[in-house]
Amino acid sequence: MTVAAGIGYALLALGPSLSLFTAVISHKPFLILTLLSSTLVWLMSLIALSAVWRGFIPFKTAAWWPYALLILTSVASQEALRFFLWRLYKRMEELLDAFADRVSKPRLLITDKMQIALAGGMGHGVAHAVFFCISLLTPAFGPATYYVEKCSRIPFFLVSAMIALAFVTIHTFSMVIAFSGYSEGNRTDQYFAPVVHLAAGVLTLINLGSGGCIIGIPLLYGMAMLTLLHCGKLVWRRLTENRRQGNLY
Amino acid sequence: MDFFKLSLLLSLLCFLALPRLSLSASGETKSFESVPDLEKSMYKEIEGFPCVRLLNLSGEIGCSNPGREKVVAPIVRFQNAKEFAGSAAILVSIDEFESLLSRVLKDSAFSSKVAGILVESSTQVQNAINGFSPDVKFPQAEFAPYRSNNFEWNPAGSGIMWKAYNFPVFLLSQTSTSILQEAALMNEKSKKSYTENVAQFDLVMQTTKSSTHDSESCLKEGTCLPLGGYSVWSALPPINISSSLKAKPIILAMTSMDSASFFRDKSLGAESPISGLIALLAVVDALSHLDGLEELNKQLVFVVLTGESWGYLGSRRFFLESDKQSDTIKGLDLAMLETVIEIGSVGKSFSEGNKTFFAHTAGATSSVNGTFNVLQHAQDSLITESIMVKRASTTNPGVPPSSLMTFLRKKPQISGLVLEDFDSTFSNKFYHSHLDELSNISPSSIVAAASLVARTLYILAGGKDSAINTIKVNASLVEELLGCLLACEPGLSCGLVKHYISPSTTCPSHYVGVILGEPSAALYPAYAGDVSRFVWNFLADKTSISSKNIGSSCAKACSGVGELCIRGEADGKGVCVISTTRYVPAYSTRLRYESGSWIVLPNNSSDNMDVDDPVWTESNWDTINIRTYRVQNSTYDRLILLLGIVVTLLAYILIEIAKSVISKAMKQE
Repeated sequence: MTVAAGIGYALLALGPSLSLFTAVISHKPFLILTLLSSTLVWLMSLIALSAVWRGFIPFKTAAWWPYALLILTSVASQEALRFFLWRLYKRMEELLDAFADRVSKPRLLITDKMQIALAGGMGHGVAHAVFFCISLLTPAFGPATYYVEKCSRIPFFLVSAMIALAFVTIHTFSMVIAFSGYSEGNRTDQYFAPVVHLAAGVLTLINLGSGGCIIGIPLLYGMAMLTLLHCGKLVWRRLTENRRQGNLY
Repeated sequence: MDFFKLSLLLSLLCFLALPRLSLSASGETKSFESVPDLEKSMYKEIEGFPCVRLLNLSGEIGCSNPGREKVVAPIVRFQNAKEFAGSAAILVSIDEFESLLSRVLKDSAFSSKVAGILVESSTQVQNAINGFSPDVKFPQAEFAPYRSNNFEWNPAGSGIMWKAYNFPVFLLSQTSTSILQEAALMNEKSKKSYTENVAQFDLVMQTTKSSTHDSESCLKEGTCLPLGGYSVWSALPPINISSSLKAKPIILAMTSMDSASFFRDKSLGAESPISGLIALLAVVDALSHLDGLEELNKQLVFVVLTGESWGYLGSRRFFLESDKQSDTIKGLDLAMLETVIEIGSVGKSFSEGNKTFFAHTAGATSSVNGTFNVLQHAQDSLITESIMVKRASTTNPGVPPSSLMTFLRKKPQISGLVLEDFDSTFSNKFYHSHLDELSNISPSSIVAAASLVARTLYILAGGKDSAINTIKVNASLVEELLGCLLACEPGLSCGLVKHYISPSTTCPSHYVGVILGEPSAALYPAYAGDVSRFVWNFLADKTSISSKNIGSSCAKACSGVGELCIRGEADGKGVCVISTTRYVPAYSTRLRYESGSWIVLPNNSSDNMDVDDPVWTESNWDTINIRTYRVQNSTYDRLILLLGIVVTLLAYILIEIAKSVISKAMKQE
């Protein structure tokens, strides 16, 4: 497919992340650090999960339920990791606030906290895109293209990039929602990330059917839109609440 | 909140609906274990036999990529080639191959459409077509000892293998044919879509890269190598060089072991000339069982020549080595040559229940008549086998294309005879083509020819008439040799060949190949081909007398006069025997190897055969392969790049808008 198409696929999967990095993350060194360490942690989690499941793959049966099991266990492990990261973040927030008090500087604003969550979520998204899409992209730079039998209208690499973009969006913004939920104690927001992650994972099983990708991908983008909108609503609500309360934190 | 509930509901529904959908990760999907696996499945390697670039003193023939790059073109079937715009890799069946090539040579507008040619293989082809011979109608006419006057020995000949083509041509195997037919069909069905199946040809020839377009320049630059190999001769019984007795007159039986074809690695030559080779080996085996060969008043000598399809390299070099009194011909004095019998194509002699052979004679009339009478006597002794031998028609201008032509030009007075299964035109409809294979010949015909020749040689050498019926040709040996030399199973890995040598390949090919390194006059040259080494070991074994060092390995005690080490490769130790069997290099008499490179010698007008020698060389090449894969057209690729850029920029704009909205919200404090 040549270099042009290869770059196109990479931009499709990670271009918006690049834009987010340039516009928001790159201005604050702390956010860059958060992003890098988050990417590393999530990548390691994916590698650990794949190491565990390597012994059982390829599945000998033709049924779909082993894949559902795989997705279920992987999502559950990752959500547990998200909660663990939240606790780590809480410790770090206390340390930073204590330090700020000592040197008589302002504490973390609500926007700072949300930006840190955003950087963390972006790390998760980038890890997913690298693991599931970019690592497969090398053959896309050569002259040949590839079509999977069950999705014979769209090139395989395009499908892969589109799915990766949806997941990047979902992961990036659901981290903001989750951290806000944990800090406020809001049940809906706390359950949002795991449920959406699981739903999105299960939706990809539709791609196993013949012609399934034509249904599966739009549904996946529906989930991504949902995440974006919910995050937007959440951010707006918290900012206006704080404004009313005269509170910036 | 409502959105959230909706999504939950949706995913639950999907989860419940999954069992009802026909979802299965069935075996249809290939499972890849790594990215290299994915890449490998995108590119399919195709099994094909190439046509390579050969050069002579005045130019070149054969096929090559037009430059240094690989050729990539969509696969189109020949019948649809006319409507196709742009250049294509044309998939053609063997019966239309000749007409396609002649059209390419004549019509330059059509030839610009041809990026490469892929020739299909099929099993029913031999029965369907009348004949396919890429050689000319009178092969190697310029070497004949008579004026040819357009006599057609090979009426099926089209001459396409002697032309130059500026594009790659490959012969496909059976499985590759079906793969590419599917690819071509897919291309036709999806003409409007933005993908197509292409074939990528790698047939880059060094002489094209370095622009050396004839033998002299390419040999000087070192971008090609001359064609040649190693012929073998053997004496039965072994010649005692140190003996004081006068040398006996020589009865020489010869054949050749190399064939040619349009496609380099598919030159089996079953009928021409391997049927003759197998007959000769069976003759030597039959005669070796007789007693009292030392008391015969003539000496039997067997010669297996190579390079005969490319300017009679073997036979001409044989005479040159004899003139130079080289070590390779020690013990053989060509001045004592009395009769020469050549076994030509003998695999298709069946007609009306009889196996009929034709004796093409030339040279001194009285001795030739004598030889023919002996042949008829042998035929009479084999009355139960329904074998007939006739004199060739007097309307023939002379002997058919054969190594005997060299002998007649060098020694016009010799008594010579070529035994063939045809009279005035080749019975082989597939002369010098890849279709001249095992199904083209019959084993019993070869056994009949061998019986005839064995009995004839015995009597010519002075053998007793009473003993003639004890000469029996081993038919199972003939069957075994057919399987070893003309099929891929068992091929050269058969028991008989492995008894003598360790072959480098399994599938036999009888293309003479190129001479690697310096042509050697040693007892055991380093680079002799598999078939040459097998023939040498076989003849040495059959014509041997056990040495005093019976059964001992050759490493220490096998360097006495007349002693040879046979089967050295097969078990590592070898067996020491007394035998007169030598390799003779076979290459153009106009070449000399000097200090690491080949020199073309100036035209020596005294040797009239040298004048017509084209001095064939083969271009060097790196790798040769074909593969097929699917490509998208470049507009689609650019659209994808555009999509990626647009998505990135759009995201940036949206993020900036969100940033400004949020900072406005924060500032309203």
